[in-house]
Amino acid sequence: MVSSESRESEADDRGSREIVVPMRVYKTVTVFSTLLAMVGAILGFALLDSATNRATAELSEVNVALAVAGLASILLGAGVYAFATRFRAEGMGNAKDGDDEGSHNG
Amino acid sequence: MSLEKKDEHDHRAWMEERDLTPVEKTFLVSLMWLDQRFRIVDYLELLENLYYKSNLQMPKSHTEQYNLDNKFWYWYPLYSLGFFSTIAYVVAAVSGALLGFYYSPATAGETAAAYEQVVYIMTDLNFGYMLRSIHRWSAQVMTAAVFLHMLRVYFTGAYKEPRELNWLIGIVLISLTMVFGYTGYLLPWNQLSFWAGQIGVEMALSVPLIGEWAAQLLFGGFTLGQPTLQRMYILHVFFLPFVVTALIAIHIGIVWMQGIAEPH
Repeated sequence: MVSSESRESEADDRGSREIVVPMRVYKTVTVFSTLLAMVGAILGFALLDSATNRATAELSEVNVALAVAGLASILLGAGVYAFATRFRAEGMGNAKDGDDEGSHNG
Repeated sequence: MSLEKKDEHDHRAWMEERDLTPVEKTFLVSLMWLDQRFRIVDYLELLENLYYKSNLQMPKSHTEQYNLDNKFWYWYPLYSLGFFSTIAYVVAAVSGALLGFYYSPATAGETAAAYEQVVYIMTDLNFGYMLRSIHRWSAQVMTAAVFLHMLRVYFTGAYKEPRELNWLIGIVLISLTMVFGYTGYLLPWNQLSFWAGQIGVEMALSVPLIGEWAAQLLFGGFTLGQPTLQRMYILHVFFLPFVVTALIAIHIGIVWMQGIAEPH
């Protein structure tokens, strides 16, 4: 909470953290975290596939280490992606909060 | 380009004034490390630049003026359906040209030569199954995309003055797309093709006054045979490609000149 203009540590209703970074860094975060998430998920599924012989292996024949590695890779990819969502560029809000009209539902 | 480096992401000073946890700092530093080695973002920025400098911008001003941006942005993907159709058309053209090396529009033989060639493509030719599948799928995708493109143009009012002419060209294009599909559908000369052809002949014959003439012209007779397949083939690989390609060029040229319509 060093600078007041950045909205870091500011929590919305769900208590999620937002950190304002320069635009160029925001692009870096978006591009590379998405890439890492994709690689993690695809690699994870490939590992799971090979560990379970495309989900056809008997339970006893499953390569546990490889399967766990696959799951970990998927989780890591998802984690990187989720973690990256806390970074925002200057002047960027959450799209759902940017509306100046109220919802007409109900 | 100046010699001075001005990448703002190289100046880590801003990081010090942020209250970052060690994990966040590590995360940012590693991604920035990757960024400096694999400069994907730079290339994406080139594309971004190109996008804004070309005439293909999204119609923003109108939505901004009436403060509709928050309501309208989720329709933007539908503004790419025309381009999507064009891509599908190009893919179909390339794969179709390759298929043309192996196909022969002949009904001669115990089993029709045309059908034999399609079987050959599907079973013996290296990558033949893939090639024909790509052709078929791109055709299906083009038909669907063209139809959805028409819906988008209609519901955003993009057909209105001064774009009436392009709307009419679009109607011609969607019709020719379906003729493209139909003629291609008959080429394998299997049961599906043959009876689809029979339906076509009878539809033509059902037209008052000019029915018989139309059936003769399009199908080369009132029963299906070599003349039918020949005509479908020439329509599919010679006549329609020229006409449709020219019309697409005009269609896109007019969009280029007039700009993309503001939503009405």
